[in-house]
Amino acid sequence: TGVTEIRSGFNAIKANIQARDPIRTLSILSHPHSLHKVKSSDKCCIIHKLFNFYMDKVFKHCQTEDSYVNRKISSIANSFLSIKRKLEQCHKQNKCLCGQESTEKFKQILVNYEGLNITSAAIKSLGELDILLDWMEKSH
Amino acid sequence: SGELYCSLPNPRNVHFESINMKNVLHWSAPEGTGDGVLYKVKYSVYGIGKWIRKPECRKINRTWCDLSSETADYEEQYYASVKAFLNGMCSDWMETTRFNPLTDTKIDPPTVNVSSTEKSISIILTAPEKWKRSPGGESVSLLQVYPGLQYNVSVLNKKTKKRWFFSISNNTLVVPWLEPGTSYCVSAQIHVTTPLLRSGFSKEYCIATLKDKTA
Repeated sequence: TGVTEIRSGFNAIKANIQARDPIRTLSILSHPHSLHKVKSSDKCCIIHKLFNFYMDKVFKHCQTEDSYVNRKISSIANSFLSIKRKLEQCHKQNKCLCGQESTEKFKQILVNYEGLNITSAAIKSLGELDILLDWMEKSH
Repeated sequence: SGELYCSLPNPRNVHFESINMKNVLHWSAPEGTGDGVLYKVKYSVYGIGKWIRKPECRKINRTWCDLSSETADYEEQYYASVKAFLNGMCSDWMETTRFNPLTDTKIDPPTVNVSSTEKSISIILTAPEKWKRSPGGESVSLLQVYPGLQYNVSVLNKKTKKRWFFSISNNTLVVPWLEPGTSYCVSAQIHVTTPLLRSGFSKEYCIATLKDKTA
């Protein structure tokens, strides 16, 4: 499935990407409010918003000097794109509505992201892909 | 007391070794230092970043430190770090890579219970438990941690050496249409599809089907 491909692509570059992120005191996805505290009714909306976030604000800012890592990043982005299209259909059929809590949650993520310069924020977000995948798979 | 003069070679290969989420920090002694080196350990939660000392691993001469308690929340990720001391000198703090208990742990094989009738064997599999703080503590099966957990089961006919493989999601399997009075050996493995985790195969459990009473 798309998620399994993302997971294996990420595992191949996880140590490399996380080593480029020296900031331990800030997380994009897990602090101050963890994704794991999100209600299941808000889950679809946040996944939809996060997939857009990764497409618009993360992958395109993650160019490295390592062609192998760059290839892995673009294959992850392609897998994201195919899942994003499926989510779009849910969104159009109103099965993915965004309540106030999920909007607040996503706003916090953007605040975390904007707290860093774009490249650092993009690399940190990419390094946190396992946090997103762990949360998505926890109770799908 | 202030930091000592830090020119001691650094601890090497600082990393977590995790089995069923029993998360133990390991490292190798600094090169060329021989006996007498002492260590201290600290850890931090990724995203919070505040380093926290581990008192039980202060001034220790062993090269491991059990941080299972401190890293028990598998929805978080962690860093740990080690510093060495010898004859008034110290090393730099040497850190692990980011540790994710959920994806970076290894899983033990399941336990296997087998029983037989004349023409079938029944197999009951039990996933290992997540590490717990004390024997009396609440037991959490890894099945609860990994909802997508499956079992791969191998069944060998010892007479014909024929082997079957099954992949099952629930923990019981009945293998029918077997030969009476024949020995069969069963081994099983845990397989989690995502995150991708796989245990080794358990040792083999052998059992004979009952003899055919009508023969």
